[in-house]
Amino acid sequence: MEKRDIIQSFKDSLFTGLIALALFGPIVGLRTASKGEGLFITPQWGIVFLLVGLCIFGRFLINLNSARKTELTFFSKFTSKFSAITEDKAKHFAITAILFAVVFPFLPFTDRYFMDVAIMILTYIMLGWGLNIVVGLAGLLDLGYVAFYAVGAYSYALIATTFGWSFWICLPLAGVFAAFFGILLGFPVLRLRGDYLAIVTLGFGEIIRIILINWYEVTNGPDGITGIPRPSFFGIPFKRSPDEGETSFHIFFGLEYSTMHRIIFLYYLILVLALITNYFTLKIRKLPVGRAWEALREDEIACKSLGVNPTNTKLTAFAIGAMFGGFAGSFFATRQAFISPESFTFIESAIIVAIVVLGGMGSQTGVVLASIFLIGITEMFRDLEQYRMIAFGGAMVLIMVFKPKGILANRKPTILMHGDKK
Amino acid sequence: MNNLLSVENLTMKFGGLTAIDDLSFDAKNNEITSIIGPNGAGKTTVFNCLTGFYKPTDGQMFLHKEDSKISLRKYTDFKIAYVAKVARTFQNIRLFPAMSVLENLLVAQHNELMVASGYSLYGLLNLKSYRDKEQLAVDKAKYWLDIIGLTHRADDNAGDLPYGDQRKLEIVRAMCIEPRLLCLDEPAAGLNPKESAELNKLLKFIKTEKQTGILLIEHDMSVVMGISDHVVVLNYGKKIFEGTADQTKNSKEVIEAYLGVDE
Repeated sequence: MEKRDIIQSFKDSLFTGLIALALFGPIVGLRTASKGEGLFITPQWGIVFLLVGLCIFGRFLINLNSARKTELTFFSKFTSKFSAITEDKAKHFAITAILFAVVFPFLPFTDRYFMDVAIMILTYIMLGWGLNIVVGLAGLLDLGYVAFYAVGAYSYALIATTFGWSFWICLPLAGVFAAFFGILLGFPVLRLRGDYLAIVTLGFGEIIRIILINWYEVTNGPDGITGIPRPSFFGIPFKRSPDEGETSFHIFFGLEYSTMHRIIFLYYLILVLALITNYFTLKIRKLPVGRAWEALREDEIACKSLGVNPTNTKLTAFAIGAMFGGFAGSFFATRQAFISPESFTFIESAIIVAIVVLGGMGSQTGVVLASIFLIGITEMFRDLEQYRMIAFGGAMVLIMVFKPKGILANRKPTILMHGDKK
Repeated sequence: MNNLLSVENLTMKFGGLTAIDDLSFDAKNNEITSIIGPNGAGKTTVFNCLTGFYKPTDGQMFLHKEDSKISLRKYTDFKIAYVAKVARTFQNIRLFPAMSVLENLLVAQHNELMVASGYSLYGLLNLKSYRDKEQLAVDKAKYWLDIIGLTHRADDNAGDLPYGDQRKLEIVRAMCIEPRLLCLDEPAAGLNPKESAELNKLLKFIKTEKQTGILLIEHDMSVVMGISDHVVVLNYGKKIFEGTADQTKNSKEVIEAYLGVDE
């Protein structure tokens, strides 16, 4: 390495330090404290200089590293190796992952907390797979996906509490309602693309949430809906002491009563729902309608010139994506037994979009990895309370720096003429 | 006389600008009709009117079937390709770049495959009737890829093909919808002499073997003069000449319109 390079990277590091100083100076350096009858500023220059020094040092190290033109960074090495493995052995990876997911509840270290996190990750995986149809395949950036999640949850909650129907009847109904709302959203946005589409879908998500808050007679407003029936094991409830003439899960199978039974059942329920979503997406991608979605993402004008009906194609994408959102929503409602508009804010949509985009648009495995990475990391740092969002942001930045096209960003053709050569 | 297309008094105005002014011409089956003219003469606008991207201000366009004729004005958007079977290519290539060559050709057969897959229902159930239809569609794609010599690249992304091959692929993709009229917007633009010779061969093949009428916009005179059966010359939205390739070459009006171009 030449001397000039060192001077160059040293200058660059100092410039980084300048930016860091501009940022950290006011944010960290000036702390307001109330003493007696007013607010006073307490400067904390020590911490600022420490942070700026760290930035300069870190930048200098990165410069030294990149000047040698070798990728020594652990993370990028790890991810490229990982994506190479998953590309070659996508099938093996999928089978291993599914097997692991199946035995997960019975592993020795699995406790209640792990199960809850796993259920949450699986819910996001399912939502990610559902949104992948709209964003990844059809290329329609939908920032209001949480609306369909909410529609599913509220239709399940309202039907179940009003009519007392079982989960297995309400689930498809919730899907149908959500799909209907998907079409409802689809119609006005048919002619929009890109940024404009994103803004309208974002608005749609907010409209649904605000309706849920204000339509007090039906949705119970901000108080939410309580007492949503818990799921039963195909008609057999999970109760410690069943009612007269009823049998309970642990009695039926002759087990000791444990609250974990219901959790494990919920876990398998969302696992099966997610796998159905995945299977359906993989299948439909290879059908004419799936190819039309991708063609529409590539070039809408060319689609029209070939006689592909863009209206129907877009609406089916919206409807099917929304349907899976609705399924996930009704699962959410039955798991929580309580829902309120609080659960369906824009940040949820943003997380789901982030999962799809960071996973690599259209990649099913990518969604799984991104969900585990984003949701898992945020959960791991739960003890840090409000600082855990830094972990979330950090995870995003890491993916963007090292895998700008998403964790897994390669597309396999839906049909091959010459068969798989590998 | 086996007329395929008749354009009658077509006029297209954009605000105060008249892009096409009272244009009438005919195109025949099994013939290549070229539309030429200086830049901005309104050639692509004629195509956009014919293929439903613009709604003409005035005038009629008819596509003749055996004993009936259908008005193209009634069809807009995707229906031109779907119902009226008029296919087109674009001045700047519009393939689906991230999809494979084979997939590009299958999207062109979308409507038949959609019916065959029972609007996705049979396809999801993986019924044999659908798989057979899909195989037929792949065979048709292979037939066309054999003709343009791209069969070995069928599984590669369309965007990775060389420019000349992308041009040819776009033409055969349009042929996959089995059109009655094929509209080509500057298919030879950016091709080297060898590639344009291959293009001429492909267009002649389509004309004679596929019984498809071809409407061609082109600046490359070696292509126009080599394969056109009929030439329509536009200038400022008006037809200034119509005749065979040889007649066009010697026409005084045409030479004047192309002012400064040696013949």
